[in-house]
Amino acid sequence: MRGWIISAPIAFAAALSSAFAQSGDASAIAPTASEAPVDPAATDETASELAASVEETDATGIHDPLEGFNRAMFKTNNAIDAVLLVPAAKTYRFVTNEPMRQGLRNFLSNAQMPTNLLNDLLQAEFERAGETTARFLINSTLGIGGLIDVAAKWGIAPHSEDFGQTLAVWGIGSGPYLYLPLFGPSSVRDGTGRIVDIATDPLFWISTDPAQYARYARFGATAVSFREPYLEQVEDIKEKSLDPYASFRSYYTQSRKRQIANGREDYEDLPEMGDELDEIE
Amino acid sequence: MSLRFTRRIAALAALAALAASPARADAAAELFVGKMLDEANAIFQSEDRAARDKGVERLVDKYVDMNRVALFALGQYARQITDDQKSAYLPLFRRYSTTVYQDALADYSGQRLIVTGSVDRSAKDIVVASKIEGAKPGDKFAELIVSWRVYRGEAGWMSVVDAGADGIWLAVEQQSQFKSVIADNGGGTKGIDALIAELKAKVGN
Repeated sequence: MRGWIISAPIAFAAALSSAFAQSGDASAIAPTASEAPVDPAATDETASELAASVEETDATGIHDPLEGFNRAMFKTNNAIDAVLLVPAAKTYRFVTNEPMRQGLRNFLSNAQMPTNLLNDLLQAEFERAGETTARFLINSTLGIGGLIDVAAKWGIAPHSEDFGQTLAVWGIGSGPYLYLPLFGPSSVRDGTGRIVDIATDPLFWISTDPAQYARYARFGATAVSFREPYLEQVEDIKEKSLDPYASFRSYYTQSRKRQIANGREDYEDLPEMGDELDEIE
Repeated sequence: MSLRFTRRIAALAALAALAASPARADAAAELFVGKMLDEANAIFQSEDRAARDKGVERLVDKYVDMNRVALFALGQYARQITDDQKSAYLPLFRRYSTTVYQDALADYSGQRLIVTGSVDRSAKDIVVASKIEGAKPGDKFAELIVSWRVYRGEAGWMSVVDAGADGIWLAVEQQSQFKSVIADNGGGTKGIDALIAELKAKVGN
């Protein structure tokens, strides 16, 4: 019985966090996310092995052999999103104003500091590790516990790191695209990274009741807080797209690629739009 | 270590730096996008969505090579489209894609974009970057980079073929959608028929 009591809130909170994952990333954190490898040479091998076993990765770097499963999960998550997250986010918007919401996003992002710092270090990004530390110190003090992003105003922009990105930097290919129940768009690599992120969060290892509640509260707050700014955009994509599943897959893949490259634009692997089309036109 | 050896190493290092440096900028493409953004910025000042939409449509018609984007969006199926399908598909795509641009640019009300640089993928294929003018650190769009992919055709004629925000490109995403729709409907000309039908339904024709 106690097991159920514990797992039910986890499931609920996880459900909440799913739509957030769907919508990409939070503006309060660095613009989100992606999939393709930073170092094509290092990752091609893994990718091509996987590709050879199932099907080809297309020109835009999408490899989705589990599409059937993924589409089913996408449908499930959308249903959960519509029933739980969207109403919660709308209510949240109604009872708060934008400065309050920005404050909460800042606070939650600030609490992500351990994950960011750990992965900055694992990627040997020492300058960014310094930025992460400085941001945490400045915002936790002058920024009143993280509510105000003073550091960004001083020119230390936020960024987000996770273990999936670290694996990518270490040369691990993304593997197949994976739409996770409750967590949304991911890949085999990034889903694995997510488990490590959960386990490396200090709060995970404290098992007192207050820590449990803090965890659930953070899950729920994160889900609603980061879903709210995307209410219109997600609605718009769903309305405009001929295939929302494919659209979200593309957004995730593209933005994750940029996130792994730490925001640097990589124009090299854009698909060709030149000569071949000249012939057809 | 002899001086000559050191010098040789220095020369090699300089060469390597040259080779590794990103492709050169393209002044003409930057000017082209700058001119487009000047016109766009005038449109962005208006708060009236209908007026803005009209302005964006005019700009898209003037600067974007819609037919090229339309064919790109078909991916490998571009080689299979029949002439009849093409004459139905191209105008539908133009209408559809225009609304996508209108929505994507809806957030920039009151903002101005300015060119910040460019990278040549080749002499014909240039990416021009732009940012919100005067954004202060910590502002909502302070870190945002809006990129414009410029294609240089015969005789130096230029057009925009894709737009990206923070590494997410519109035409790349459209190709993802369209290929998926075509493949799910049996691929080939049959799949393209299905795509045309869905586009018709979307733009209300």
